Amino acid sequence: MTESAPLDWEEVARVHGRKIYNFAYRLTGNPNDAADLVQEVLLRVRKGLERYQPGSFEGWLWRITRNAFLDGVRKENRRPTSPLPDEVDRWDLAHSPGADVEYGRITLGDDIQKALLELPFEFREAVVMCDVVGLSYDEIAVAVAVPVGTVRSRIHRGRRLLREKLS
Amino acid sequence: MRHSGSQISAYLDGELTGPELADFLHHLGECGQCSDELLETQEVRAAVRSLPVIEVPAGLMPATEAEVLPLHRNRGFWVSTAAAVVILIIAIAALVTPAPATISVDELNSRFAARVSLDPAFGPAKVIIPEVTEVAE
Repeated sequence: MTESAPLDWEEVARVHGRKIYNFAYRLTGNPNDAADLVQEVLLRVRKGLERYQPGSFEGWLWRITRNAFLDGVRKENRRPTSPLPDEVDRWDLAHSPGADVEYGRITLGDDIQKALLELPFEFREAVVMCDVVGLSYDEIAVAVAVPVGTVRSRIHRGRRLLREKLS
Repeated sequence: MRHSGSQISAYLDGELTGPELADFLHHLGECGQCSDELLETQEVRAAVRSLPVIEVPAGLMPATEAEVLPLHRNRGFWVSTAAAVVILIIAIAALVTPAPATISVDELNSRFAARVSLDPAFGPAKVIIPEVTEVAE
């Protein structure tokens, strides 16, 4: 998919901020890591937009997002496949109004989130990019730097593993 | 028989086209195992896609936007401040300016004459009063 780049990173933040946050949240199950990633990605986008070459903007953005995520994982000396807490973090429960409703909404998919976190990173990443972010196979291939056939295989194997864990 | 495998997910995601799609559909019609796998995969796919979208916590995006927006915000502040000052000046001017009064020419003349009598410097530098002489017939 060929797209023109957004005019500025503010637009990237507005249009893609929530997706980046949800990508990281579903990959880690941790709202703090997700928040850190959004800030890091926007910083990198801001620096990188000047050098952006017209092409797959989604692929470019998600490649940055993925690299930032992996760098963050390396920095904290954690393996991407490391198990994460069973319980979804209850962020800002004491502070934000209507948090009970939000918490209820988040925990709605707890079993799916837990199963996602048990997948090997490559499969989890492919499934999240496809089903949470909504990227095409081509865009995922650019982001992850693997052939489209590998993307297809990872998504399907990820879904089969999820099926086993959920049944 | 070769099963469809990852073609199943590709089909569900709309990523199968042309002859590959035709072959897949043909195989699906003959293979109960792949049909079952299609239904199961469809369920899992729908489950992940049904995960609620998590809103970005309040404060995260504004904090990052704050680095870009101050120029716009400051400009807005100064524009509104300048507008308020202009309105204030107009309002004060309207209050201190006396309302135009109606005054007759006679009254104006007598006021002028009174002022000149008290303060000669207020009047014309030199008043030339022509001498009135009797003209003899």
